[in-house]
Amino acid sequence: MIAIKAENISKSYRLGTISAGRLREDIRHWLKKQPVEDHLVWALKDVSFEVNQGEVMGFIGNNGAGKSTLLKIISRIAAPTSGRVFGKGRVASLLEVGSGFHGELSGRENIFLNGNILGMKKREIQACFDEIVAFSGVEQFIDTPVKRYSSGMYMRLAFAVAAHLNPEILVVDEVLAVGDVEFQRKCLGKMKEISGRKGKTVLFVSHNTQALLNLCDRVITLHKGQLIDEGKPAEVIGSYLKNLQSDYLYQEYDTPDAAPGNDYIRIKKVSLQYDTELFDIRTPFIIRFECWYADRDPGSLIAGIHLFNMAGECIFDVASKGTSLQPGLISGECRIPGNFLNNGAYYLSIVFVKDTTTRLFYFEGCLSFNVEDYRENTAWFGKWMGYVRPDFPVILNQQDVV
Amino acid sequence: MENKDAWEWEISSGTKWFQWRLSEIWHYKDLLLRLVRRDLIANYKQTLLGPFWVFLQPVLTTLVYYLIFGRIVKVSTSGIPPILFYLSGILFWGYFSDCLNGTMYTFLQNANVFSKVYFPRLIVPLSSVISHTVRTVIQLLLFIFIYQYYFSQGGITGSYYILLTPVLLLITAGFGLGAGLIVSVLTARYRDLDYTLQFLLRLFMFATPVVYPASIVPEQYQILFWLNPLTAVIETFRAGFFSNEPVYILHLLFSCVEVLLLILVGITLFKKQELKVMDVI
Repeated sequence: MIAIKAENISKSYRLGTISAGRLREDIRHWLKKQPVEDHLVWALKDVSFEVNQGEVMGFIGNNGAGKSTLLKIISRIAAPTSGRVFGKGRVASLLEVGSGFHGELSGRENIFLNGNILGMKKREIQACFDEIVAFSGVEQFIDTPVKRYSSGMYMRLAFAVAAHLNPEILVVDEVLAVGDVEFQRKCLGKMKEISGRKGKTVLFVSHNTQALLNLCDRVITLHKGQLIDEGKPAEVIGSYLKNLQSDYLYQEYDTPDAAPGNDYIRIKKVSLQYDTELFDIRTPFIIRFECWYADRDPGSLIAGIHLFNMAGECIFDVASKGTSLQPGLISGECRIPGNFLNNGAYYLSIVFVKDTTTRLFYFEGCLSFNVEDYRENTAWFGKWMGYVRPDFPVILNQQDVV
Repeated sequence: MENKDAWEWEISSGTKWFQWRLSEIWHYKDLLLRLVRRDLIANYKQTLLGPFWVFLQPVLTTLVYYLIFGRIVKVSTSGIPPILFYLSGILFWGYFSDCLNGTMYTFLQNANVFSKVYFPRLIVPLSSVISHTVRTVIQLLLFIFIYQYYFSQGGITGSYYILLTPVLLLITAGFGLGAGLIVSVLTARYRDLDYTLQFLLRLFMFATPVVYPASIVPEQYQILFWLNPLTAVIETFRAGFFSNEPVYILHLLFSCVEVLLLILVGITLFKKQELKVMDVI
């Protein structure tokens, strides 16, 4: 039985800031009944799929592939520009945890408030209230205003409410991307439990390919707003990773208008360079970037590089010193030595921070690459463990002869 | 299973005019009450006087108006004790402007929640109106308490028109809600409207018989003056509590019609735009 059927959904957004120009465009639109085509960006284009009842469907794709937009449409938060979605059963969506939490109210009040916002009835919340409190582990503070909570307690309480939602169709965005490892493990466990229940349909978006492999029955790949692959998780994720790798050693944009970024920073070029024929564990490489810096109120700028493996675990986080730069073209580089990373697939993100606190732009997953294996003088070919594979000498000595 | 009737819900690009889906609001009534509760509790947290502010605000304003308009400028109150006269005007004006202010920022203030969770958006303005109603009813008790003092001293009498009070409250709330819904959609798109509106709202108070009786308005402006739905509401209220003749029943009916139309336009526009607005916030 089909629980959700999406037919040719498309969604476009208008670019540009809200200004007098908008009002003029709006009026022109009303008068002539002609769509304003100039600044349209298609977040989704002609996406159709079906999800069976009781199935866990995963969505994967690069940033800007349209995953979140798709979930928003199914959750009724955004309307599609064209196309239709049909469905059966009550939908609850978890695009963030703790929606509507109010700092002044106690934990108890917030459980009810958040539960109601997520579509639960008072009766239902009362029925599992004790369970929620126990799961969150904040019993002692249940009558304290949540603004006094630590961020960990806050997250646990928020997730505890969400975990006790009991709709027929559950829509989950990368809620799991926040919190510490322990918390993520708990969330994944709960997700597995939820999806294991009979007849529960789950739509799940994540960057964490391990989580998708573990939880999903089927996976859909989105690329630039289009559905490009659909099928068994292992196959779809495998080919997604393969494409990702060949795609992204290099990105360059000719004009600031076309480039990713915002009013402060636009990326001109990012690249990963190495001198050898083959990129293996011995190869040193350089990450280079150039960007248009257009902050009208320039401060001390920091550029950071976050490197992740394909499971989404961060391998390292390095950053430049704070540097005062004037608007214009800026560039940077980071040299990574050979004999450092273990073999495997990686992707990296570049972050720009102003005055150590304000995040100007996070260029997520902008490059990805594959480090091939290389071994000599060994007959062992199993998977080499570890995130890094440094060439530290291990010395073995004979102390004494018996 | 391809039979379209078997689907329980459908999401499509165009929202139809007049697709209000009021039954859905009933489904979310727990949320509605919860939000009212949140408003009432959270508003007075960490204030020294707590819920007493409900009383203090109108009382302080009444005293100021009494000093300025009663003692210094000496505006007529058509024989009504000045304190009660100003308090009645302030009560209804406050109720209206609270309802309007509480609903006109629906999208801007809730953009965070609205972009993450679905529930009928109409719940938010409704909850705001209900929590202001609770406050106003409490203030009305204060009014009756003071009224009863003057009544026992003699000199004022009431009439059966007092019984119209709930209707008067409904009209006032409806006016605030209807106008607020329309404005909420507009301010979300064009932010500068906000400043203009706050200014106009302050002017509008003086086009409402809050600090003066309708009778002192010059003949040539009377028609314009009665177009304001609040005029008939406040005048009828005073007519009820102070046997102040004449009673403007026809005018009141006209106000009802105006407010109903406003609500109709408001809800229709709100429902039609609730999703589209979120794209531009």
